[in-house]
Amino acid sequence: METAFDTPLPIERSARTFIEVAEIWVPENGRLVMSSGAYGTLDGFADVSSAESFAKGEGLPGRAWAEARPVVLTQFDGTGFKRTEAAREAGLTSAVAVPLFAGATLKAVLVVLCADSDGRTGAIEVWAETDGILCLDNGYYGAAVQFGEVSRRTSFARGQGLPGGVWSSRTPMLLRDLGSGHGFVRGESAGAAGLTTGLGLPVPVPGGKNYVLTLLSAPGTPLARRFEIWDARAARVGHERAAKLVDGICDREGPLWDPENAGRERRVNAWQGTVGQVLGTGLPVVESGTDAAGYASMVALPIHRGGELAHIVAWYF
Amino acid sequence: MQKLVIIGAGMATGRMLEHLFEAAPDAYEVTVFNAEPRGNYNRIMLSPVLSGEKSYEEIVTHDDAWYADNRVTCRFGEPVVGIDRAARMVRTETDEVAYDKLVLGTGSAPFIIPVPGRDLPGVVAYRDLDDTNAMISASEAAGARAVVIGGGLLGLEAAAGLRLRGMEVTVIHLAGHLMERQLDPAAGYLLQKDLESRGITMLTGASTKAILGHDRAEAVLLEDGTTIGADLVVMAVGIRPETRLATDTGLEVARGVEVDARMRTSDPAIHAVGECVEFDGQLFGLVAPLYDQAKVLADTLMEREGDGFAARQLSTKLKVTGCDLFSAGDFADGPGREDIVFRDPARGIYKRLVIEDDRLVGAVMYGDTADGNWFFGLIKDGTDISQMRETLIFGPAYQGGSAADPLAAVAALPPEAEVCGCNGVCKGQIVEAIADGAGDLGQIKAKTKASASCGSCTGLVEQILACELGDDFQMPSSQPVCGCTDLTHEDVRRLIKARELKSQPAVWQELGWTTPNGCHVCRPAVNFYLLADWPLDYDDDPQSRFVNERNHANIQKDGTYSVMPRMWGGLTNAEELRAIADAAEKYGGELKVTGGQRIDILGVKKEDLPDIWADLNAVGMVSGHAYTKGLRTVKSCVGTDWCRFGTQDSTGLAVKLEKRLWGSWTPHKVKLGVSGCPRNCAEATCKDVGVICVDSGYQIGVGGAAGMDLKEIQRLHEAKTEEETVEWIVAFVQLYRENAKYLDRPYKWIAKVGLDWVIETLSVDAGRAGLVERFDLSQSVYQKDPWAERATPETKRHYEPLADLTLEAAE
Repeated sequence: METAFDTPLPIERSARTFIEVAEIWVPENGRLVMSSGAYGTLDGFADVSSAESFAKGEGLPGRAWAEARPVVLTQFDGTGFKRTEAAREAGLTSAVAVPLFAGATLKAVLVVLCADSDGRTGAIEVWAETDGILCLDNGYYGAAVQFGEVSRRTSFARGQGLPGGVWSSRTPMLLRDLGSGHGFVRGESAGAAGLTTGLGLPVPVPGGKNYVLTLLSAPGTPLARRFEIWDARAARVGHERAAKLVDGICDREGPLWDPENAGRERRVNAWQGTVGQVLGTGLPVVESGTDAAGYASMVALPIHRGGELAHIVAWYF
Repeated sequence: MQKLVIIGAGMATGRMLEHLFEAAPDAYEVTVFNAEPRGNYNRIMLSPVLSGEKSYEEIVTHDDAWYADNRVTCRFGEPVVGIDRAARMVRTETDEVAYDKLVLGTGSAPFIIPVPGRDLPGVVAYRDLDDTNAMISASEAAGARAVVIGGGLLGLEAAAGLRLRGMEVTVIHLAGHLMERQLDPAAGYLLQKDLESRGITMLTGASTKAILGHDRAEAVLLEDGTTIGADLVVMAVGIRPETRLATDTGLEVARGVEVDARMRTSDPAIHAVGECVEFDGQLFGLVAPLYDQAKVLADTLMEREGDGFAARQLSTKLKVTGCDLFSAGDFADGPGREDIVFRDPARGIYKRLVIEDDRLVGAVMYGDTADGNWFFGLIKDGTDISQMRETLIFGPAYQGGSAADPLAAVAALPPEAEVCGCNGVCKGQIVEAIADGAGDLGQIKAKTKASASCGSCTGLVEQILACELGDDFQMPSSQPVCGCTDLTHEDVRRLIKARELKSQPAVWQELGWTTPNGCHVCRPAVNFYLLADWPLDYDDDPQSRFVNERNHANIQKDGTYSVMPRMWGGLTNAEELRAIADAAEKYGGELKVTGGQRIDILGVKKEDLPDIWADLNAVGMVSGHAYTKGLRTVKSCVGTDWCRFGTQDSTGLAVKLEKRLWGSWTPHKVKLGVSGCPRNCAEATCKDVGVICVDSGYQIGVGGAAGMDLKEIQRLHEAKTEEETVEWIVAFVQLYRENAKYLDRPYKWIAKVGLDWVIETLSVDAGRAGLVERFDLSQSVYQKDPWAERATPETKRHYEPLADLTLEAAE
């Protein structure tokens, strides 16, 4: 069994990433407080954020907590977003907040913020189930305007497409070659927009409503350069607190999965590296610098199912 | 340098070359021919390529640079068409290449079922990248439909991939459950449920008759006449070794190219490896033995000594994201074999271990595969498991310690773990309710609503009570159906309805049966409950019936059978009597007039049953069902037609009732009587349902008996008309069918539920009409003469004399 450690590679900083800021807010004494964040060069926004906290229903993180659903803001004015001024100064124009629940307990809220600029292509989408069909709840598409338009008119049945696949399998999925060979107009449009890689993950919330978050990446302005899906279910890894890397791709290392399909996936135990930290605490992590496997930053999210930490998804950018 | 020519750039030859180049890079000058226009790629990962979860580039195992680095001459896209063994040359359409050593790695070819239309465009096999790309192309049309023929490993991976690509997908599978070679019915049920939840339609027990279409495939026709529209038809029913080159050149070929343990064919200069070979009578389709062969062949080519190839135990995994299954070894039932079964219905987990002579010989698991490799190791090593038998099913984490505490898992559940899925109640809420004073299930239900809906979490709630209260909690002690379950008949009936369980595997899994597929006690009961509740969805299982019901005749103590044709209301005629007399003479039967007003032909040999049934069918007589838990007779008196005291047409009413009710299955046998006046010549007052005709109408009574218990009927209703009488009796029989415990006669059932409840229920017009409607729906399936279905030459072979004297004759 190969054990995965964070690889000490030189840090790579992309000049143009799709996501500018990623931050984790955790509940503490009834408010959401900063746990970790990756702000790149946006020191001003980082300073404002580190001094901030949110009550339930307050600001974007508080709203995601109160509404128990992912929230997408494609503009800040009039939305209750608290850091509008600092965001404007940093050039940030959109944000997505994803609440991370274990059963009825809120573990954390992930917030990502993006900046509009010509040619920056990617997508962050929230899909919600209505009457047995997944429809787009909201999404941020950057320059992929037409793809966004098509997506708003698209719906998915169980098992179909990235959102439908994640929904029916209750498992994160990583799709390649999004633009080819799908019976959806959206697939054709994704190809035209240059979107090639898609990470989909279930967003469990109290009450049983089904949400799926999808992150779609284009090579020119990658949402991430490395994606990982770890399976942490006891039904898959046994009673130890451990996780297996069941799928992943990396610009540098290529495929990250077990080529023999023989159960020899990379494995980490609790507290071993960043993924191990998520495994140990059940809380998400945003890292920058040496802990990001040679990339500038990384996000690692736990996904709970039935009160148990089931999967961890990580992306590096 | 010797010339090594390889035909086929597959996974086995690729792995063989890796070993060869690693140990002896300069031993051979290597040329590789491949019919596909590309080198070696990881063929077992084609399914994720189809689904879009991998790219082709990711599964390439040997790229151009690798072949170049190892100085391999690549002749890709150039099929070899012949081998000249004498000259040691291989021949393509345009060239000849000499060899000193030749390796056949021709792989396998998909099996194409020989049905009309198999050659139409749009019909593809699933074997290589070109097939995969053809399927991906087909999925590009919006709303396109795919039919996958074959519910094995490959077919299901194809189905899941095509569904993810956006197609409407139907899987047609000949066997009764999916992946029947790797899974037992219980695991097959969970897999089917999982795939159906992805929007894939599954048709098991379905046989393909033809592929329809003019210029291309348009639909698949099944043997039962069903037509399924299809823009793409994927044949995934199996593979067979590709042996044409070997056969043409005169090598020894059985089902595959025959090789010895050093991978040598019958020609010392020619070797074979991979799916094309046959070794010791076995063929190979999974990658693990292919890699073992590759290692052996590399040693052979390097003239190294070493262990020869030996077939080994294999395990199976399905590459469909979110479907976790594991299968290894042999899990067929057999004498001397024991099962250990673990089920967790709430989490969709099923594990079954098969043990023989204190050794683990098979393991099937679904939903929790964490310990799969550990079990696989025990199987491969033949480990003596007698010391860990009690805890074996819980895996390696439980070995070496004390026996597993069944409550430990419950105690370890976190407070936020959901216990009652129906009402969203977590363990923490239940624990709080217990702390607030709730001390039994009823109080937990009242305080939290846990277990208050479908009730399937009742056991878990009781275990939490036991954990929290210790000795202060008494587990309720109700009588379970049998040793396979802790549930009572009433629980099982309720849950079959509430959870919409429509198959036996669904019951075993969702209700947590501790055996793989029930026992002789629970199977007949569950079979009845399912067919009574879901007549259109569930197929009656003859293997879950007592022998008399299977044979449709009562076995007698001398091993012969009795044959009892139906006489409607006790009426017969000269033609029927002649047919009975002729049959008795022809088959050596003796005749007896029964208490149920019909004639029994006794002493018929089993092999004569189909013939005697055919003879009786010829004059319109049908089975009297004298052997069933179902409607037996409707006894009558002569009524107003002949009797001076008769108040109503009792015979006519009896005939109407019998014609309406015959063929229905009931929890136990049901006998009716209709007497034309209170003098009661038909003895209706000791029947399960008895009607006493009076001047003002019809007095309907229920719950009589005249067997081990003697009971007089109790008044159910007084009807004004025949129609009203029939309606009430049909509704009563259906209420009994829907609610009674299997093998409870009506009088026992009524004693449990109370006659008042029965009357109250049947007095509601809409409720009564609903019962009648459901009865008639069931009769649309089950009111058919079993004799007519079996009185055919094809069925005669099932009636070879096989005596089973374990049951006494009924009626």
